[in-house]
Amino acid sequence: MKARWLDILFLGALLFVLVLLPLLVNNYWLRIATGALMWAGLACSWNMLGGYAGYINFGHSAFFGLGAYVTALMMVDPLGLPFAATIPAGIAVTAACAVIIGAPTLRLRGAYFAIATWAFAEVLIQFATVMEFTGGIGGLSLPPFLNERFFYFAMLMAAALTYLVTWALFEHSRFGLKVKALRDHEPAAEAMGINTSLVKLQTFVLSAVTASVFGAIFAYWVTFINPKSVFGGDITDQMVVMVLLGGLGTLWGPAIGGVALFVVNRLIWMYWGDTAFYIAILGAAIVLVVLFLPNGIAGLFAKRGRGSVSVLGKAVEKLVGAGEGDRK
Amino acid sequence: MSTSTQPLTQKPDAAVDPILVVRGLHKHFGGIKAADGVDLEVGRCEIAGLIGPNGSGKSTLFSLVSGTVAPDKGEVRFDGRDIAGQNAYKVARLGLARTFQIPALFDNMTVTENLLAAAAEGHWPGAHERAAETLALLKLEHVADNRASDLSGGQQKLLEFGRVIMRQASLILLDEVTAGVHPNIRKIILEAIAKLRERGVSFLIIEHDMEMVRSVCDRIIVMDSGRVVTSGPFEEIVRNSEVMKTYLGRPQ
Ligand SMILES: Nc1ncnc2c1ncn2[C@@H]1O[C@H](COP(=O)(O)OP(=O)(O)OP(=O)(O)O)[C@@H](O)[C@H]1O
Ligand SMILES: [Mg+2]
Repeated sequence: MKARWLDILFLGALLFVLVLLPLLVNNYWLRIATGALMWAGLACSWNMLGGYAGYINFGHSAFFGLGAYVTALMMVDPLGLPFAATIPAGIAVTAACAVIIGAPTLRLRGAYFAIATWAFAEVLIQFATVMEFTGGIGGLSLPPFLNERFFYFAMLMAAALTYLVTWALFEHSRFGLKVKALRDHEPAAEAMGINTSLVKLQTFVLSAVTASVFGAIFAYWVTFINPKSVFGGDITDQMVVMVLLGGLGTLWGPAIGGVALFVVNRLIWMYWGDTAFYIAILGAAIVLVVLFLPNGIAGLFAKRGRGSVSVLGKAVEKLVGAGEGDRK
Repeated sequence: MSTSTQPLTQKPDAAVDPILVVRGLHKHFGGIKAADGVDLEVGRCEIAGLIGPNGSGKSTLFSLVSGTVAPDKGEVRFDGRDIAGQNAYKVARLGLARTFQIPALFDNMTVTENLLAAAAEGHWPGAHERAAETLALLKLEHVADNRASDLSGGQQKLLEFGRVIMRQASLILLDEVTAGVHPNIRKIILEAIAKLRERGVSFLIIEHDMEMVRSVCDRIIVMDSGRVVTSGPFEEIVRNSEVMKTYLGRPQ
């Protein structure tokens, strides 16, 4: 109980600082803060399925990009709709796609789901590149709205909501118990009456929809998108590394990982004007995690166990179709 | 543990009103006939023991009945419903619970969360209180907040049993649930089984320990090579020295 109050106190103080931040820093740093919030939120959205259910999504950028493109397409001529109206549309399109991809593949053991999500993102990149209505390789330019504070608060709201949903749904509800149960042992979860295929699909849809909201805000914010900038595989790669570094399947780990890696990315860009070095850092982060931090940064603060089994281990087992060896 | 099943003052005849009926159940794994035409039944409020040598198909039978593995052919009737080939989660929701021989715990969840997860589907009201009761019953209170994978082997067996208690099932299949458990705790498990039976729960129990089989089971079912070879009261089975020698490997 005491720890609970400390948590709430800490989160309250953090939120207070975040709300006041636009008064404290200039626009340059406010943009960096906006980006950090976006990546923290995206990492949390990937973690919903990858961390809590143990299903690795290698094409999460597809849903980020769908949100971005739906918003862009609805805001440019001839529709010219207001930004707020595009978000529900993006959510609907993303949810429908997630159901189509997830329903057949999430019931299978092994790499089917991972491959399907990766392929889906690749297909969307190609599609957006060859189609005329998406602006082809040149992409789309949105009506500019140059108000840094608006986008900062939009990202802050989306990220805070994502965090709150994760807290309520995955850490403090029956639904979260079902999700974690199927991650750790699917046959046992089924034997406890849990419809694992359905729970996985629901989690996947929530994770995808969350990413699409960030995509929508991102498109309006940067005012220009193209297939690579919103569907690119490097977007998914970054999310995965952020989550692994912060702590797969933990509440605040992915947010920390997201902020940390994005800030490193910006600093490198500031001093070297080039982000090739950043890719090397991503690689190093993965090696570090796999060798020394199977539970990420958050794992350093968790109660020490024998450490033989980790969430990462469960996710890898699912990916290669191993584990749960005895279905007896 | 509450009143989802009605207490019965009288034990009905197993043959008249069985809660589980298995007929001609087959399952082949490659060349291995793990179930080769299994026929058996379990009566209401009955505690039936299932014995047989290693590899005779006892655990496989549990998986076929509970829906964890789909049978090749055959009939499984639970509480009057045909459940052969049904999804495991649907069978579980009808009121059938099972343990796994090798504990199939939710490794990264705490002991308490494991118990709560077992109640997450369908039996939620009062789940926290029942989890606390179950922890006390199984003497797992001091490890309530430990990860399941950090438990000792015996404690894992206990938690496996605890999850089944949380299901509030009408038929419970126990696969060697006391193997490797300290005698004191074994006594606690036996008492829990007796208490559940008073509430109308039926059991099918796989067990290699003859003393345990004798003390809790109303009737023994003997399996060998994927078939039921005989069944009857413990004394009758033991008197049949042929069965003892062939199927249990130790003449008595
Ligand atoms: N999934 C599977 N794939 C292949 N063979 C299997 C599988 N499950 C069980 N078997 C085989 O089926 C036979 C019956 O196994 P089962 O586990 O049901 O025996 P058991 O009676 O429970 O034995 P024990 O007393 O050792 O637990 C064995 O020969 C086993 O190797
Ligand atoms: Mg067995």
